[in-house]
Formats: sequence, structure tokens, C-alpha cells
Amino acid sequence: MRTPQRRITYYVLAFYFLIVAVWQALFSAQLIPDYLLPSPLQVAGRLWELMADNHLWPSVKATFGRMGVGFSIAACVGLVLGLFMGVSRVVNGCLRSLFLGLQTLPTAAWVPVSLLIFGLSEHGIHFVIIMSSAPAVAISTSDGIQHIPPIYLRAARTLGTPTYAMPTRVILPAALPSIVTGVKLGWTLAWHGCVSAELIKSSIGLGYLLEMGREWNDAQQVIGIMVLTILFGLLLDRFFFGLIQKRILVRWGLAQKS
Amino acid sequence: MEENKTHLPAAGATGARPAKLILTNVAKTYGDGVQPIAALQPVSTRVHEGEFVVFFGPSGCGKTTLLNMIAGFEDITEGSITLDGKPVEGPHHDRLMLFQEHGLFPWLTVLENVMFGLRREYRFKRQARRERARQFLQMVHLEEFERAAIHELSGGMKQRAALARALAPDPKVLLVDEPFPALDALSRSKLYWDIQEIHQRTKKTIILVTHDQREAACLGDRVLVFSGRPGRVKADITIDLPRSRDIKDPAVAQRAAGIMAQMEASGQ
Repeated sequence: MRTPQRRITYYVLAFYFLIVAVWQALFSAQLIPDYLLPSPLQVAGRLWELMADNHLWPSVKATFGRMGVGFSIAACVGLVLGLFMGVSRVVNGCLRSLFLGLQTLPTAAWVPVSLLIFGLSEHGIHFVIIMSSAPAVAISTSDGIQHIPPIYLRAARTLGTPTYAMPTRVILPAALPSIVTGVKLGWTLAWHGCVSAELIKSSIGLGYLLEMGREWNDAQQVIGIMVLTILFGLLLDRFFFGLIQKRILVRWGLAQKS
Repeated sequence: MEENKTHLPAAGATGARPAKLILTNVAKTYGDGVQPIAALQPVSTRVHEGEFVVFFGPSGCGKTTLLNMIAGFEDITEGSITLDGKPVEGPHHDRLMLFQEHGLFPWLTVLENVMFGLRREYRFKRQARRERARQFLQMVHLEEFERAAIHELSGGMKQRAALARALAPDPKVLLVDEPFPALDALSRSKLYWDIQEIHQRTKKTIILVTHDQREAACLGDRVLVFSGRPGRVKADITIDLPRSRDIKDPAVAQRAAGIMAQMEASGQ
């Protein structure tokens, strides 16, 4: 029997409550000194302080600003390269192997190169974001194009669509379900890249706050920023990209409305 | 079965009308190596303006191959096909195909799907495209669903929307590839009525492929009976029953039996 959605939501809430409770229990048992493992309340308090000192908000804004610029470029570049890969077997043969190779590289590995090329400028972070996520978007886009049901292309051709109009009117819309999957994955990778880059070469941003916490031996701040980073990533993934993806899959007839 | 005139490909009762589509010794062979496979042996026929021709036969008899060659999706390995005197080369909007799986675009609404093929003619006139698309949606009784998404339609409604989309650009010939087997009986018989009504109203030349002899007898002015393998045309039967015909009409059933008899007749 299927568990109803509402019940699952309760289980999920209970699961997270349990995590916090175990965390609190570990703290209360005092097995680990509290400067290494602060309590959930202490972490929340530290985040509150950061907010009150007006440290947190500018950093969140800075990180999202970088993500906005970097990821927009990455998505466009990925989309265009993916389109060429999707329609040309030669381009696909060349770029696919390159991109799969690049994807095996941890996103943080782009940081040293970006330091060498861009120094401490903002563009260095944008560069890391783009290199981390564009290959994923390109690969998903080309996969999507290669798996377009042939009937859409036949129908479009017989309805008199000129070749130059095929990408915008048929190919990209037909591949949209895969493209959204790629963009979603790309966003996660971009988020990794962005925070990694901020750790090393920035004076503002979530990654910077994380690194500052380490420098001041402030475990409360380190854990607090980590939780916040996870939270932002999760919210965007589940609620923003997740909902868009769901709507597209239903409309394309690939998933049922729940 | 004295009304079922079997006759040689080119001539016929409708011979006085101008020929729209002329097929001259059209054949299809796959593979060109040591052992080419003959998918279709030479076929010659003339389809007249406004005629409703049915290609009937079992699967693997080459009827769909022939339809695809007329549509321009497959190369013609032998012979020639001309439409209004011009040889057929590749897909073109004057020969629109209604596919077995509707092929409607899910990213567009029903109305936008019907508007899709009108861009060429009404280039920068969105309003004109919309008006024309609405007329065709009315013709298939879907005017209330113009804003619906494709996944919200039933199977029969999808086929009717696809029919409207194929008719809106005013093709010279409408090619129909077994659009009905995926539907329930009720939707099918409604579609039989609709397609006959549309045929009479628009005087469109239609070629339909089916493996259902009743469907063939119900819809066709003329039925080309194919047999496998290798695929070839065995008989050319004129159905002169009055329109619109009911699929359950005994006269239709009788013609259907005639078609089956022709197909099964030994004629190796």
C-alpha cells in the first residue's frame, strides 16, 4: 500500500527533529568539548548574531549575486554547446568526451587555476561557477536532443518548418525535460564551485564566512554557515527547480500529476 | 459483389477527373548489397482530386512504406511519384501526414498546435493564424479546448486535434497513417463520422492506411488491397456506397468481406 503524501511529510519532519535531538544529546553528554561541537541552540544564536551585526545578509546577497551572474552564463553556454552537440555527431564526439572528463574534476580544483588567471577578482569566482556547471548543462541538453521522439521532428518538417527555425520552435522545446534536469544538476555543481571559490579568494560570501569561522576557531559559525548553505541549496533544488521540472514532466506527458 | 469493380491500376470510374497524384511503377528495395530486400513491388495508380483512397493490407505489406514515400520521408528506389505534375522530393507541407501517434507538441496548447503549420502562409499575422486555427478546431468539435494542454485531452480528442493541425495549412493531399487502432470503439466510430464529414466539406484528397477491412470499406472511395511479402498491390476496388457511411452498416460489412476475399484470393 502506498503511504499518503501527508504522512510522509510528517515522517520527514520527525526525521529532522530526530537529527537535531541526537545532536543535542551528543552535546549534553559532553563527550566532545563544546568549542568543537556546539549545541543546535548555540549555532542558531550565532547565526542570529551574524544577522544582527549585518554580516550575514550582505554575504548571502553576494553569494547569490555571483551565482546569478555565473550560472546564467553557464546555462546559456551549456545550452548552446549542448544544442550543437545534439545536432552534430562530430561536435558531440569531440565535446562529450571532453566534458565527461571535466566533470570528473572536483569543482574545487578549478579554484587554483582561477586564482592564477584572474587573481582575486570577482570574475575568478564566476569562472569557477561556469566551469563547474556548464558541462553538465551541455551534456543533458545534448542527451535530450538525441532522444527527442522522431515524430516531433517529422511532424514539424511536414508542417513546413524551415531548418533555421527548428532549434527554437521544436528541438529545444522538445528536449526541455532533459534540459531542466541538466540545469538542476548544474545549479548544484555551481553552488559547490561558488562556495569552494569563496573559501579561498573572497572577502564576502557564505564561503568566506565559513573560512572566517575556521580562522577564529568558531565552530558555531562554521556549522551554522554549513547548515545555511545546505538549506539554501535544498530549498532552491526542491522548491524552485523541482517544481518547474515537475510541471514540465506532467505537461510533456512524462509524469502523472500528484 | 458485382459493384466491386476490380480494375487495372490506372483507369477507373473516376478517370474523367484530373489526376492529382500519379504513381508510376513505384517500388522500394532495402539494402543494395548482395541480397536486396524487396519491400514493395512496382505499384502504379492515379489518385484523383478529392478522392478518398485507402491502402489496405496486413502488416509488412508495404502500404505504410508507400505512404511514407508519398510523404517524402522515404526515398523512392524505383519509379516516380508526381503531385500536380511535379515530382515528389522530401517532406513538404502540400502533403501533410496525420500520424499514428498524433505527434502533437506538448509545449504548445491545442490552439497553438493547430496554428503551428500556418506560419508560412500568415507570416507576421498572429491574429489571422489564430482565426484560421479556430475554424479548424470548430470543424473537429474541439473549440472549447483551445487553451488546453495536450496531456489534458483524451486519445480521441488528441487525434481530432492532430487532424485539425494537418488540415489547417490546406495541404493538397492528406496522408493518414492508421490513426485509429489506439482508440476505443466509441472514439473510433466518432472519428469515422468526422473524417467523412470533413472529406465531404473540404473536398480534400485523402490517402489512409489501415489493416482493418471495415475501416477500409467505410472510408474509401477506392481501396488498394496490398499483400505481403514481398509487398504488392493485389486489387483495386471501388466502393460506391453513399456517404456518410456507418461502420455498422451491413452494406459496409459486405464490402469489407469482399475486400478480405480479394486479399485472401490466391494470386501468387
